[in-house]
Amino acid sequence: MSEYTESIREIAKRLLETCSVEMIIGFRKGTVPMMNEPHVIRNARDTGDLVWDSNCGINLANYLTDRKENIGILAKGCDSRNIVTHILENKIKREQLVIIGVPCKGMIDKRKITRMFNGEILEVLEDNGQILIRGNGFDTRLDKADVLQENCALCTHRNPVIYDELAAELVGEQEDIDRYEDVRKLEAMTTEEKWAYFDDLLKECIRCYACKNACPLCYCPTCFVDESKPQWVGKSQDAIDIRTFHFLRAFHCAGRCTDCGACQRACPVGINMRVFTKKLEKDCLDLFDWEAGMSLESRPPLDVYRPDDPDKFIK
Amino acid sequence: MEHMGIEPGRIQFSWISSAEATKFVDVVNKVTDAIKELGPNRSFVKPETKVA
Amino acid sequence: MPIVKFEKQNWETGLNKLRRAYRLCGPVEDKGFHYFKDLGEAELPDFGCLNTRLSAKGIVYPQSEDMFEYSLDETLDDHHVMKDVQKDYSPRIVLGIRPCDAKAVKLVKLNFDTADYKDPYWLRAWEATTFVGLACDNPCSACFCTTAGCGPYHEEGLDVLLVDNDDHYMARVLTEKGIRFIETAGWDTTGVDGASLIEERRAAAEAKIVSHVSTDRLRGADTMTLHAAGIWEDISFSCINCGTCTFVCPTCWCFDIQDEVHGKQGKRTRNWDSCMFPIFTVHTTGHNPRGSQLQRVRQRFMHKLKYFVDKYDQGIMCVGCGRCVSQCPVNIDIRRVCELMNDLPAPDACAAQE
Repeated sequence: MSEYTESIREIAKRLLETCSVEMIIGFRKGTVPMMNEPHVIRNARDTGDLVWDSNCGINLANYLTDRKENIGILAKGCDSRNIVTHILENKIKREQLVIIGVPCKGMIDKRKITRMFNGEILEVLEDNGQILIRGNGFDTRLDKADVLQENCALCTHRNPVIYDELAAELVGEQEDIDRYEDVRKLEAMTTEEKWAYFDDLLKECIRCYACKNACPLCYCPTCFVDESKPQWVGKSQDAIDIRTFHFLRAFHCAGRCTDCGACQRACPVGINMRVFTKKLEKDCLDLFDWEAGMSLESRPPLDVYRPDDPDKFIK
Repeated sequence: MEHMGIEPGRIQFSWISSAEATKFVDVVNKVTDAIKELGPNRSFVKPETKVA
Repeated sequence: MPIVKFEKQNWETGLNKLRRAYRLCGPVEDKGFHYFKDLGEAELPDFGCLNTRLSAKGIVYPQSEDMFEYSLDETLDDHHVMKDVQKDYSPRIVLGIRPCDAKAVKLVKLNFDTADYKDPYWLRAWEATTFVGLACDNPCSACFCTTAGCGPYHEEGLDVLLVDNDDHYMARVLTEKGIRFIETAGWDTTGVDGASLIEERRAAAEAKIVSHVSTDRLRGADTMTLHAAGIWEDISFSCINCGTCTFVCPTCWCFDIQDEVHGKQGKRTRNWDSCMFPIFTVHTTGHNPRGSQLQRVRQRFMHKLKYFVDKYDQGIMCVGCGRCVSQCPVNIDIRRVCELMNDLPAPDACAAQE
């Protein structure tokens, strides 16, 4: 996808030069392998700093919350769905945005790649569906398809659902994807197995809150974990407190999560907290035939009343 | 909640109007009986903080 | 300082002897990352690890630590009396701590051991601990220790420095604690004149450090000029205000004290806190003097690279371990920030020209 960079720079330059926007939110090249930094450009002469490749996994919709400027923003499929959610939830106005759609071919999983090699990875480049990896004692090529982030491998909305500009031709969507194999495996477990699974999953959590802070859905002025009057959850490394945090965070994303994977990507200790949100996503699809952020026209299932609501869980 | 290992039946929801006194009594009795049968919650509970 | 050598084949036997007198901890792998953990009965530290995910600071300064316990039951004579929590302060050894993490412990000590205040929990844990370092022959590309007042063979904060040398370890014994460690292990040690070899190895390891920072102008910089500089908006834009950098940092020492009561039994616990969190500075009035993301990001870097430098005159509050660089979810890089801060022209330079 690095071939998108030039056209992104051109579009950004044009938008800034014509004063269509005051700023462009995109990515600049990272200082370590497999990382790019979300970046804001305010001057047309700086647009050369913008880059695009398979390391742009952070969801840029996160940087729109309550902004007042006119903004040009790069949006992959998932980012665009979160922009829709932001607009529906009044966190930004559609008129403020020039959305530069980036048809996405998936982001690479830096942890998976890191774990494949014993030595340190020094450089990662990409070339036409291949990932070139150079490190201490190795120099190799991998198929990008084998090292995608899990949410990207399972993605069925790679193209932006809403856009004003396009950085490239739309890509073909992946079809016949079984998105919920992992959730079904969990659903099939006994109560005790489920409990043990989540205990093990969250064992390494250090409560840095990178997962919630990388998430565009988490924009409350004061998060429940920071409330002190009353204090909803303990602050220590107690396993029950940690579980309470993850579980409540996930619930706040019900019917809103687009499985962009920013939470998992951000986690410094590699926890796949997507297993919480994916269950809710699957339920929303099964119960309400709902996928988050697909259109500005329909309201999310949790803020509408429908007489035909399948409320089987209420007695 | 059941998805992360809480016993089925421990969480219950009901929709009862303020005019449905009989239903309210009925539901409270049923929930109480069901929860008594499950016994005390031993998993998702924090009797004291466990840290270093 | 004496240097001894012992065969690697006797490593495990020695550790088993040490286990009788000490609690051992060291780096072990868990789900693909290394962490410092208490070693199980036959467990060996994994010296093949590049760097642990979290630093070694948690060994003497756990992320959550009980301080007091108390009862609110008024039928008891000692209700509402804070009592020390019984903790294990028996001798402990950290095996394979990297020189950067050891130097960091020394920096953290500046905060917990002052003329006015002595933190009993941190100090007792520190006194009980013997720091057995492992010289770093394969530094990572994000490591910049040599320009952060440290280095791959740095000795500050260590009791013993082990150097991996083919079939044996060279051990530079630095303190009394270090002597006891070697003696208790009962290795068949021979004194060697290894100083020149270690020196050679040190130079080779330092030459492998590819990443550097400049800090020479930080001390002389004007604090308010740095504070008001235009660089912070660009630096802080991408920050999501998570606590990753502060929690993985070996020199971040801030904590928050919490009381938790269950029934009538209460505990006072302290937990690592992070200046990146909005609640870190919230006053009881509701006012937050560092209410914006920019202010919090600026605080973290100003503390590490300016306030600390001015207050203690011991260099920057960073040992160049590279963890925040490689683990920041949005790639905010302290090396870049340090360069930006160091490169700001001093206001006096302009004033002098007029």
